[in-house]
Amino acid sequence: MSTPLSLSDLDLPRRNGELAFDAPWQSTVFALAAAVVEHAFGGDREPFRRQLIAAIAAEPGRPYWESWTAALEALVRTLPGEPGP
Amino acid sequence: MSAGGHHPAPVSPVEQRVAALEALLTERGLVPAGFIEEITSRYAAEIGPMNGAKVVARAWVDPRYKQRLLADGTAAIAELGFGGPEGDHLVVVENTPGVHNVIVCTLCSCYPWPVLGLPPAWYKDPPYRARMVREPRALLAEMGCRLPDDAEIRVWDSSAEVRYLVLPERPPDTDGKTEAELAGLVTRDSMIGVARL
Repeated sequence: MSTPLSLSDLDLPRRNGELAFDAPWQSTVFALAAAVVEHAFGGDREPFRRQLIAAIAAEPGRPYWESWTAALEALVRTLPGEPGP
Repeated sequence: MSAGGHHPAPVSPVEQRVAALEALLTERGLVPAGFIEEITSRYAAEIGPMNGAKVVARAWVDPRYKQRLLADGTAAIAELGFGGPEGDHLVVVENTPGVHNVIVCTLCSCYPWPVLGLPPAWYKDPPYRARMVREPRALLAEMGCRLPDDAEIRVWDSSAEVRYLVLPERPPDTDGKTEAELAGLVTRDSMIGVARL
């Protein structure tokens, strides 16, 4: 009807329970973030969430899991023993 | 199904970055063997919208449960055994004939994972996040969810502190159905608020 649909690049819902992963690397990087949160931050999700918000804000049009990857890379750089940002 | 798909797709730069992350984190002992498979299969199989559907069906058949659910979502959902990461503070908002609720996360992708599983791709994309706040009625219509003109739309912005779950209206003509049958009617999208049942 009215406004031009800007949802063309969105994966519109098709079925209940649809998974959000389009490629194996996406589920891998999802699990890697879970591993870092659990094993390096004692379960505190907030540091990763802050990085994710920053990564999305830095490039709003970037595909989601690529921002997720960038956020995890940034978080890993803050770990002790890493070269740093 | 793409034609001529006999050759593996070339590895993309982001895949290389993820492989590098995996190697680095494994070397540092942060990724136990089998962890990745365990996490992804747990989210695919155990955690997902079927949990939320059970919560909704229980609320439809048990008015006292519904009362508890609306008063303290986290506790009432924990009664059914669901909780954990990203489900610290769950708030359930009820649709009525005059009020339609929909959830969004304007900053990133906060989502009630223990009851809905992983967020769908569109939930995380900028057009949904921006437009659901700016023009919810138009966006809902584009997504196939048409509401009466006089229905009030309430948009709930999820955050690290609060995750929302929509309690959809029970569909008409379902009086004879069991709780399990009712749960089968509840879709993920109806619990995000982008569809009605």
